[in-house]
Amino acid sequence: MKDNDRKRYLASVTDRFAKGQMGRRQFLKASAALGLAGLGTSMIGRPSGLFTPAYAQDALTPSPEVIAWLKDVAKPFAGTTLKLATEATPPSNALNSQLKGFFEEATGIKVEIEILPLEQVLQKLTLDVASSLGSYDLYYIDQSWAASVSQDVFDPREQYAANAALAMPNYNLDDFLPALVDGICVYEDRWVGVPYDIPVFIMIYRKDIYDQFGLKAPATLAELLSNSEIITKEMGPTVYGTTGQMKSGHYSLECDWTAWLWGHGGSVFGPDGKFTGNDDRGLEAMAYWDKLKATMPPGVDGWTWDGQGQSVAQGVAASMLSWGEFFPYFDDPTQTKVSGLCEVAVPPAANLLRTSAETGYGEIPGVGHQGGSSLAVSKYSKAPDAAWIFMQWATCADTQALITSLGGGTGPTRASVYEDPRVLANARVGAGTTRHLNVVRETIANHMGSEPDLPEWAQLSSDTIPVGLGKYFAGGYGSAKEALDDIAGQVGKVMEG
Amino acid sequence: MHQSRPTRVLRTLAGWMVVGIFFFPIYFWTSVAFRNAKDIFNWPPKIFVFEPNLHNFEEVFGISLALGPQVVNPGGGNFYMAPRLLDSIIIATFSTLLAIVVATAAAYCLSRMQFRGRHHFVNWVLSTRMMPPVAVAIPMFFIFKQFTLLDTYTGIILIHAIMNLPLAVLLMKSFFDDIPAEIDESALIDGASRWTIFRRIVLPMAKGGIAASAVLCFIFSWTEFLFVLTLTQTSLKTVPVVSSTFVTSIGTAWGNMAALGAAAIIPAFIVVLLVQRHLVRGLTMGSLKQ
Amino acid sequence: MSVAQVKRIAISDSPVPWLAPLVALLVVFTVYPLLYNIWLSFHEFVPKRRALEFVGFENWVQLWGDTRFWSSMGVTFVYFFVALFFQVTLGMGIALLLDAELPGFGVLRAVLSMTLVIPPAIAGMMFLLMQDPQFGVLTYFLSQLGILDQTSPILSTSSTALAGVLVVEIWQWTPFMVLIFMAGLRALPPEPYEAAMIDGASAYQVFRRLTLPMMSKVIAVAILLRGIDLFRVFDYVFVMTSGGPGTATYSMSYYAWQQTFTATNWGYGATISLVSLLIVIVMANVFISVFKVRW
Repeated sequence: MKDNDRKRYLASVTDRFAKGQMGRRQFLKASAALGLAGLGTSMIGRPSGLFTPAYAQDALTPSPEVIAWLKDVAKPFAGTTLKLATEATPPSNALNSQLKGFFEEATGIKVEIEILPLEQVLQKLTLDVASSLGSYDLYYIDQSWAASVSQDVFDPREQYAANAALAMPNYNLDDFLPALVDGICVYEDRWVGVPYDIPVFIMIYRKDIYDQFGLKAPATLAELLSNSEIITKEMGPTVYGTTGQMKSGHYSLECDWTAWLWGHGGSVFGPDGKFTGNDDRGLEAMAYWDKLKATMPPGVDGWTWDGQGQSVAQGVAASMLSWGEFFPYFDDPTQTKVSGLCEVAVPPAANLLRTSAETGYGEIPGVGHQGGSSLAVSKYSKAPDAAWIFMQWATCADTQALITSLGGGTGPTRASVYEDPRVLANARVGAGTTRHLNVVRETIANHMGSEPDLPEWAQLSSDTIPVGLGKYFAGGYGSAKEALDDIAGQVGKVMEG
Repeated sequence: MHQSRPTRVLRTLAGWMVVGIFFFPIYFWTSVAFRNAKDIFNWPPKIFVFEPNLHNFEEVFGISLALGPQVVNPGGGNFYMAPRLLDSIIIATFSTLLAIVVATAAAYCLSRMQFRGRHHFVNWVLSTRMMPPVAVAIPMFFIFKQFTLLDTYTGIILIHAIMNLPLAVLLMKSFFDDIPAEIDESALIDGASRWTIFRRIVLPMAKGGIAASAVLCFIFSWTEFLFVLTLTQTSLKTVPVVSSTFVTSIGTAWGNMAALGAAAIIPAFIVVLLVQRHLVRGLTMGSLKQ
Repeated sequence: MSVAQVKRIAISDSPVPWLAPLVALLVVFTVYPLLYNIWLSFHEFVPKRRALEFVGFENWVQLWGDTRFWSSMGVTFVYFFVALFFQVTLGMGIALLLDAELPGFGVLRAVLSMTLVIPPAIAGMMFLLMQDPQFGVLTYFLSQLGILDQTSPILSTSSTALAGVLVVEIWQWTPFMVLIFMAGLRALPPEPYEAAMIDGASAYQVFRRLTLPMMSKVIAVAILLRGIDLFRVFDYVFVMTSGGPGTATYSMSYYAWQQTFTATNWGYGATISLVSLLIVIVMANVFISVFKVRW
């Protein structure tokens, strides 16, 4: 049997095994027959997480042109080690587990990726930047931190222009979705890296439960509330209408807050740079949120997005307005109870939206809160050229297509990748699906909301605001107005420095 | 005191129940290590009934990794943690070695030699035990950065050794105090030097004490969290700190975390059993004996 | 002994070479950080200029008016007293219970000491799972018993969050007390007890008038050592609640760490940790002199 045919057959055999259409013994026999006994066992190692790409394994490798370029350009840098600290988002996981091997082999540059919860990434980043340590060569920068570290990284446009010898052919900076560039990387007139991942709030709901009650995907915030109330009333406390990521003191609580705040025509800052979360619209948003919270499982106060995702995955909540990245996970039958039962829709329309002219610091209201991050080379790195090569490779169209197909349906940040055949091929029910990407793209284009950009924002969004909101939901304030006024005061203090 | 039969039975039952309650979380956590996600998230929670399997361990220790390409879990993480276990072992072992070497010499001196201020010195050593790790970690971070010790094995080994010194010194001192000073005296009269006495006579007699001190230093290094959290980045991490990386953006991988945790507890426990006799002396830094 | 021999003893009797490495390392670990912290507390890091600037007493003044600081001190003290109370009483109770040669008790004592070798960070995660509002075993038991309302998750409700953390603390370290108390009980002389039995004293009287006073030194050492560690609580808070909800579980150590590493207020973080250190030293020294604890 030719090698290619053998691999394709193995892929289909593995596919059948993972789908439960084949018993373990048969699978072992089949793979042994293919002369790949050891390989077969390894694939059994984690059948529950086994990803079954629609393409056979060997098609999901970097394109030969990319590899050739890498080999060529990285010759002087062989033997360097690069370090990056990042959150466990799908691109980083895909890179860390599978893809970086290709890079390392082609260039001889070793890449060490430290995967941490988001708040620890922020701590490491802050420390590295504050003390100019240069322990990390590349930074994973959440959009809420971009303003604080804009001076500590290279502007990729400058890097690309300045270093013709190292520039990747067809890297194409214009391919990045402009809305994402604006929302994630741009601060003042600099690009703080390139958009790397784009978790964005979309509406994910249980079609089966919605059908049961004759409900449609919520088109307005009022519908979301009424839908959730109906479901919680009828099916609670086993199943709740919706869920949240409202852990006190965590950035996730702030994310939820902005969705409702912006949806009611409010904003965090006004054009004069003052906090406006406590104005009338802000209070309206809080009143709405209080009502919505009553339809959520009680655990929301202790969850970040991961507990929220878990609540939907285990069938406890019937809908969520949260990161699109979760959707492929929900379709995985070996991990969740809701495979194939979820559908996506764009976020409910806002009641009212302020324009950016009415907000401060480049804030762009929109119910589809985006939490994208960028990848950038640190100015303190001891190997900036090698890091730049890696960065280009990690964010080029080819690698992004691989990440999306291999890493499980995460939203690409480049327009071309949405049309890539490998990505389109995975638009079916099953682990790693990409069938939600159309909604993601539409949300990015029309419903996306971006947080304000200012150096203090990292602290405000990860500490000041969520600690105050957490205290409110734990009953520490008499009223929402009191809570938000107090937060306003604290924000003012932080801004004064 | 003699107790009646029913009292004894009651007391036995009570003892078993109480310890059972204490043991339950350990049982539960170990069982989580053997479960699939669907057996972990249930209401009412499944306590005894579940399908055991080994794949959490496989992922964490890379048994399947050794045989072929790694499988990417959609949105999930790479949980191969065996190198971290190795890091913990290396750090605990070498920091223990360093601490014991320095402490034994100092403890012998404190036990045998009279000098002015000896009492105050002992008190000073004790007071160093009171430093809140946070107060030390902050300056240490800057010192380490200065001397490029950040994120190095040497750095962590040093800090753990130093952290364990007060315990080791006071504990070894109490063991040396147990050995009669007359033995030293007679050897001294015969013309032996302190160093020879220490090396040839007293040290071999204190073997048990050294073992007990070493075990305790090992345990405290093994379970230490704050210094490793602050002073490492990518080159190394110990088991307690790396547990937080099981929190992915999709969910916390409890099964894998439990697998790592369970594997980390068992060796430590076995080692503790070996020095059971001296455990109390160790825990009270030599103040009390068993 | 000849003069030469005496001389040799005198020279080799110098404590210096024996103690030098210890002193050197400890100075690095304690004296230097202390001085550095003091120095830091008079400075602050300014992100805009990426530099550490002298600010005089500003950090100390700010500390005085900082509600989050006082709240963290309150939380730490509450944690300290409650944990100590339960660990001592439960520890004594269990020690008394297990201090007998009844079937399997040897094994039980060994099993009890298992909790001590678990890294506190991992113990925190264990209980985090067990207290999960949706799937937690502990939540289940407590709600079955009617103590807990499932709509108020333990770790997310201000009034119960600290209790949720204390559960781990007490679970993990009561065996510490048990082991020490049992060793103390074993060392007690039997004669007073025989005399008490002859006199017909009740178990309670025996405990109160005989056991307790004779165990006072043991209890003092146990309280001192455990107390010092309780005041420095960090691991559980970090792993389980990150100080929340609101600031309900913010301990002083956690606050100092958060200020230094998350908010990059290095001077302020150093100030907080200095205060924490001061309190521990004062309390420990008072305790040592009052209860005459000796090493």
